[in-house]
Amino acid sequence: MEAINTINTMKDEFKNPIAAMDAFYELYEDVYCKQKALHEDAIKVGTMCIQIPSEIIYAFDAVPIRLCNGFYTDDDIGSDLLPQKACPLVKATVGHFASGNFSDKPHFVYSPTTCDQKTKAGATIEGFGYEVIDVDFPRMKESEISREYFRQSIREFTVDLSRRIGKKLTRKRLKNAVHKIGYAQSLYHKLCEYRKKEHVTISGNDMFFITNAFFFDKIDSWTEKTQRVLEELKQREKENITVAAKVSPRIVYTGSPPIFPNYKIPMLIEQSDAVIVADETCSSNRMFNDMVAVDEWNIYGMLDSIADKYLKACTCPIFTKNDDRIRRIIDLVKTYSADGVVYQAFAGCTVYELEQRSVLEAMEKAGIPILYLESDYSPSQGGQLSTRVEAFIESLKMKKRKQG
Amino acid sequence: MKYFAGIDIGSTAIKISIADENKDLIGHKISASGSMFYKYAHETLDALLNELGLIKEDIVYTVATGYGRKIFKEANENISEITANAIGARAAAREHGQIKTIINIGGQDSKAISLDDEGSVVNFAMNDRCAAGTGKFLDACAMNLEIGVEELGNKHFESTGTPLSINSTCAVFAESEIIGLLGNEHSVEDIVCGVHYSIAKRIVKLVKRVGVKEGIYFDGGPALNAGLVNAIENELGKKIFIPRYPQITTSYGAAIIGIDSYHYENKL
Amino acid sequence: MNLNKVRFTIQVITFLLIVYGGYIGLDLGDKLPTFACVFNPEGTGGKCYLGMIQHDLDHPWQAFLGFAGIAFLISLFIFVLWVWVLNKAWCGYVCPLGTMQDWLTSLRKKLKVKFIEYDWANRESIKKVKWILLILLLLLPFMVSNSLLGLPKLPGGLTMPFCDICPGRMLIPAFVGDFNQFYIDFSNPTDLIMTSLGMIVVGLFIVGSFFKKRFFCYFCPMAAFQYIFSKQSLFKLYKDGSKCTKCGDCYNACDMDILEIADDIKNKNLVTEDCTLCLKCVAACPEEGCLEANFAGKTIFKSTKEGFILRMAMNQQIQKESNND
Repeated sequence: MEAINTINTMKDEFKNPIAAMDAFYELYEDVYCKQKALHEDAIKVGTMCIQIPSEIIYAFDAVPIRLCNGFYTDDDIGSDLLPQKACPLVKATVGHFASGNFSDKPHFVYSPTTCDQKTKAGATIEGFGYEVIDVDFPRMKESEISREYFRQSIREFTVDLSRRIGKKLTRKRLKNAVHKIGYAQSLYHKLCEYRKKEHVTISGNDMFFITNAFFFDKIDSWTEKTQRVLEELKQREKENITVAAKVSPRIVYTGSPPIFPNYKIPMLIEQSDAVIVADETCSSNRMFNDMVAVDEWNIYGMLDSIADKYLKACTCPIFTKNDDRIRRIIDLVKTYSADGVVYQAFAGCTVYELEQRSVLEAMEKAGIPILYLESDYSPSQGGQLSTRVEAFIESLKMKKRKQG
Repeated sequence: MKYFAGIDIGSTAIKISIADENKDLIGHKISASGSMFYKYAHETLDALLNELGLIKEDIVYTVATGYGRKIFKEANENISEITANAIGARAAAREHGQIKTIINIGGQDSKAISLDDEGSVVNFAMNDRCAAGTGKFLDACAMNLEIGVEELGNKHFESTGTPLSINSTCAVFAESEIIGLLGNEHSVEDIVCGVHYSIAKRIVKLVKRVGVKEGIYFDGGPALNAGLVNAIENELGKKIFIPRYPQITTSYGAAIIGIDSYHYENKL
Repeated sequence: MNLNKVRFTIQVITFLLIVYGGYIGLDLGDKLPTFACVFNPEGTGGKCYLGMIQHDLDHPWQAFLGFAGIAFLISLFIFVLWVWVLNKAWCGYVCPLGTMQDWLTSLRKKLKVKFIEYDWANRESIKKVKWILLILLLLLPFMVSNSLLGLPKLPGGLTMPFCDICPGRMLIPAFVGDFNQFYIDFSNPTDLIMTSLGMIVVGLFIVGSFFKKRFFCYFCPMAAFQYIFSKQSLFKLYKDGSKCTKCGDCYNACDMDILEIADDIKNKNLVTEDCTLCLKCVAACPEEGCLEANFAGKTIFKSTKEGFILRMAMNQQIQKESNND
C-alpha cells in the first residue's frame, strides 16, 4: 500500500528522526490505512483548491477538507474518466470521488475556477452524486477589477455557505476563526525559523508531512502536535542534532504540489544527501505564508481582508503574470541560504509546465542553479528521476566543496 | 603505485576503466550487460585485472556509475553518469582543449551536458524515455537493412544526393518506415544517411536545450559511427571531438573521481 | 509596538500643543506645515503656512522685487525645512484636523458603524482636487492685488480664499469655546459665497470623516504643498520590494486607500501625495523588514513577523468559547 510505504520510508530511511513526528505518522496511518474518521458530526466542507478561505468555513463551526489527492491507485481510476494526458493530481482527485472511499466524506464541495483541469473536474465529480459549487476566481490579480470581483465572489461564497449550514455569520466567530488560522500560521513560521539556520534540525519531508496534515486534521489537534515538534526542535538545536551534513546542498522545492503519499521526489532529494529548506508549493508553504491583517474587526472588513489575501498574495501559476512567484522563489533562496532550486511539474499540468521557461530564465539571471523535472504518479519512474536529481545534487555538492 | 577503478554499468554494456594516480588510463574493458549484470561486472573486472597483471588489492578505490550503479555494492562510492561523463570528457580531451559541451548517445538514452570553465556541470538534458535518438535505434535499423552496425559509417559516406528524411517520431514506427523506403527501391546507403540525420536532428535539439558552447565532445558507442558524427557536425555547424575510446569516457571519469575521493578521505 | 496606542498618545499631545500651546507661551512660528489656526489667536501654538502664504501673495508684483520678495522666499524656505524634518507625518501625527478625523473614526468604530470607501475608479479624479485648491489659494490672493490676463483685480473678500472655506477656521476655535466662526456673511456677494461654502465644507468634514477615514485629507492643499518637497525629507517610508508578497494587508490598513503601498515593488521611497505617514501600513505588514519608517538613516519602526503576530493577537490559542454573539 502506497501510504504505508511512504510512512515507513520516512521512519526508517532518514537520519536522526524526530520523536514528536510519530504523532503525525500515526495520524496518516489512521486516516489513510485504517480509514479512521476524524470529524464525526461536524459539517465537512470539501475544497478543491487553496483559494477557498478556511477562516470563513471555521467561522461557521464547519471543517474545511482539502481534497487534492496523491494516490496512484486513484490516479489510475481517474485515467478512465479524464484524458490520459491530464494532470495526475486532478485525475487522482476525480478517481477518489469515483471510488467514494472517504474516511471523512465532504457534505458538499467548493471549487474555485483556477486551472482548466480543476475547473472542468467539478462537472465530472457531480456525476458521482456530489454537490459541487463553483466559486469565481479571477485569472488576473493586478487589476482593481479582479480585487472587487473576488471580494464579491467571497461574499457570495459566504452567503451560500451560511445558507447551506443554516447558521448566520457573526463578527465574533469570524474574528476567532481568523485568529485560529493566524495562530496555526505563526507556528509554521516558527518551524521555518529552524530551517533558516546553518544546522538544519528538521527535514523537508517532515515539513511536508506536517503541512499536508493541515488538509484534513482537526485544527486544535494539529496545533498541539506542531507545538510538540517545536519543543523538540528547540531541544535538538541545543544538542546539535541535525538531519543533514554541512556539505549537504540546501534546496528550495517548487512546482506542482507533493501530496501524500506522492512524496517520491522530495524523498529522492533528501535520500541523495541534500536537504529541502524551503518550498513554494500550495500543499505546504502557500497555505501558511501570508497572514490576514484586519484594520477594523467588523464582518465586511474581515471578509475583504481575507478575500484580498487569498487573491493578491497567491502565487499559483494560473495567473497571467507570474512575477510574484519568481520574486518569492528568489526571496526564499536568499532567506534560507539555498544552493539550488528543484522545479517539479506534473506531466500534463499545463500551467506549471508553461511557467518553466520564465522561472528558469529568472534563476539563470539571478545565478541560482535550478533543475527542472517532470513526473507523474506512476511508481515506475525511479531510475530516470534519480539520475537527474543525483546529478544535480552532485554538481551542487562539488560547487559547495570548492567554495570551502 | 595505486590504481583506481571506474565501473559504468549501463543497460546494454558494462564498461570498466582503470586509472593510475596520475589520472592516466592504463586499461579498459567492455562487455555486454546481459541479464545478470552484477555477476558480469565482477567477471569483467577480474578479467581486466588479469590482463593488466594486477590483483584486487592494487585497486584502492572503486566508483560505480550508470544505470546499475547501486547494485554494485562493493564500490566505495556511486555517482551519477552525468557527473562521471563530465570529468571523463575533460580528462580524455585534455590535450585537445577545454571541453564545454558533451553529447552522449548510449544504448538506451542520450544526454547533453554543459560545463563551465572549471569543468563543473552547469546544465544537462536527458532523453531517457524514448529510443529514437539512441543506440537502440541504430541497432534496429542495421538489423532491418541486414547489415552490421559497424558498417553504418561507411554506408553513410557512399550515399548520393540529399539524405532521406525519416518522419516517424517513434523508433519502432520508424522501422516500418524504413521497410517502406526499401520497398520503394531507395538505396541502403541513402536510408542509412537518412537515419543518421534523423538522430542528429534530435540530438541537436537536445543539445540546444543546454546551450552549445565551443569545445564539443561526443562519446558513447555510437560515436564510433563516423557517418553519425558527420551528420551531427553538419546539423550543429561545428566540429566535434571524438575520443580514442568513446565508450569508456564515463567509466574513466568515475575512476578519476575515485582518485579525488580517496585523497579527500585519506587527508583527514 | 502597539502603534494605535502610541499614535493616539502623540496625537493628543500635539493637539494640545497646537490648540492650546499659546496659553503657555508656545509659538512655533507661522510657517507650519499643519493646520494651526490664526483664528484662535490666544491658544494657538503656531500658525499654518497656508494662511500666511495667502496673505503674503496679496501684494502687487513689484513688491516682490524688493525686500518683500526675499522675505517671501525665506518664509517658504522655513516651511520647506519643517517639511524636511517630519515629511508627511505632520498629517498623520500633528495636524489637529487629522486628529479630529481620527477621533470621529474611533467614535464610529465604537458605535459599530461600517466605514465607507471611495469607488476605486473615482480615486484618481479625487486626487486632483487638492492640487486645484492649492493653485487657487496661491493664485486668487495674487489676483486681488494684481490684474492678470486683462481680468480686473479680484474683490478683497478673496484675500484668504482657503481660510474662508477651511474647516479648521470653524472647528479649531470651537475647542477654546469660540463658536463665532460658524457664520454666513451677508454683507457682500463674495463673502456670502465664501462663508456659505465654508459652512458646507465644515458640515461635509464632520459627516464625511465620520463615515470615511480621513475624508478631508484627500482634498487638502496642505498635503499637496508638502508633497512638492517631500522627497528630500529626513523622515522616510522605505519598502523592500523583494520581500513583498503583495498580500495587500498594508492597503487594507491604509486610511487613505493608497494602492501603491501594496502594488509598487520597484520604488524604495513610498511616500505618495496622499500618504499621512501614519505608519499603519508598517504595523500591518507580516513580512520581516519589508516596510520601514526611517528618520535620518535610523530605523524607527520596522515590520516584523513577531510584531505582526502580537498586534493581530495571533500568538495565543483561542479557547473553545461558546460562540454566542
